[in-house]
Amino acid sequence: MSIDPTLWPKLHGASTHFPVALAMAAALFDGLSALVPASSPRRAQLRAAGYFTIILGALGTFPAVLSGLFMTKGRVLGHDAELFHHLFVWPAFALLVGLGAWRAMVGDKASPRGFAIYLAVLFLTAGLMAGAGYWGGELILNS
Amino acid sequence: MNLSLERKSLAGESSRNGNSETVRAKLSPEKRALLWALLLGAVSLGGALLMASPIQKISSWAFFTGGSSSEIAVSPQLLAQGAGFFAQSCGDCHGDDGHGDEGPDLHNLAISDARIASQIKNGTKGEMPSFAKKYHDPEITALVAYVRSLR
Repeated sequence: MSIDPTLWPKLHGASTHFPVALAMAAALFDGLSALVPASSPRRAQLRAAGYFTIILGALGTFPAVLSGLFMTKGRVLGHDAELFHHLFVWPAFALLVGLGAWRAMVGDKASPRGFAIYLAVLFLTAGLMAGAGYWGGELILNS
Repeated sequence: MNLSLERKSLAGESSRNGNSETVRAKLSPEKRALLWALLLGAVSLGGALLMASPIQKISSWAFFTGGSSSEIAVSPQLLAQGAGFFAQSCGDCHGDDGHGDEGPDLHNLAISDARIASQIKNGTKGEMPSFAKKYHDPEITALVAYVRSLR
C-alpha cells in the first residue's frame, strides 16, 4: 500500500493560495483602514476584516509549509526557481506567524505607533508572499 | 555577623524580585505581544526547518514514493545505458550522482515517467536544453529508468 506520489503537489497547490491571498487581503483591509477617518465606523469594520484575515492567513501557512516540505522531500532551499521560491517563503512564513500572533493578542487595542509598525511589516510580508507565489508559479510552469 | 549577611542577601533577593515584577508591569500589552510574536515566528520557522531532515528520511519510504511508480521494465542493461547517457549529458548540471548542482536534485522524483521524458525531450527555456535531437525514444527510456532508480 502506498500513497499517490502526486498527493503532495496537489495538497500544496490546494493549501498554499489561502495564506497568500489572506496576507494580501489583510494588507489591503488594514491599509485602507489607515486612510479612513478614526471616527468612521468603516475603520472598525476594515480593522475587524484585517484582524480575521491575518489570523486565518497565519494559521493557513502551516498546512502550506508542511505539504511543501513533503512535496520537496525536505528540501529547504533547492535550485533556480525553487531556491527563489524558498528565499521568499521562509521569511514570509516567520513574519506571517508573528504578525498573526501579535494581532491576535493586541486585538483592536493597538497604539497608533504600534499599528503603523505592524502595517509596515504587513506590507513587507504581503510582498514576500507575492514573491513566493510568483516563483511557485514559475516552478510549475517550467517543470 | 552571619545574621546580618543573611539579612542583606534576603533584602537583595526581595529587591531583585521587586525589580522583575516592575519590569513585567512596565511591559505594555503591545510589547508583550511583540515578544510572543517574535517567539512564535522563530519557533515556527525553526520547527519547519528542523522537520526537513526527518521528512527527507520518511519521504524515501515506499509508502511515500508510491512504491515502484515506474512503468518501464527495468533491466541492469537499461540502467547501465541510462547511467552512461546521464554521465554524458546530465551530470554537468544535475551532479554526477544526480544530487543536483546547477540543476535540481533528481532523487525520488514525484512526477510520472512521461513527464520526465517530456522534460528531457523539450527542456525548459532558459534553464535546461532540449535533448530531442540527441536522444530518441529508446535512449530517453533508458535515461528515465536511470533517473527513476535514483533514490
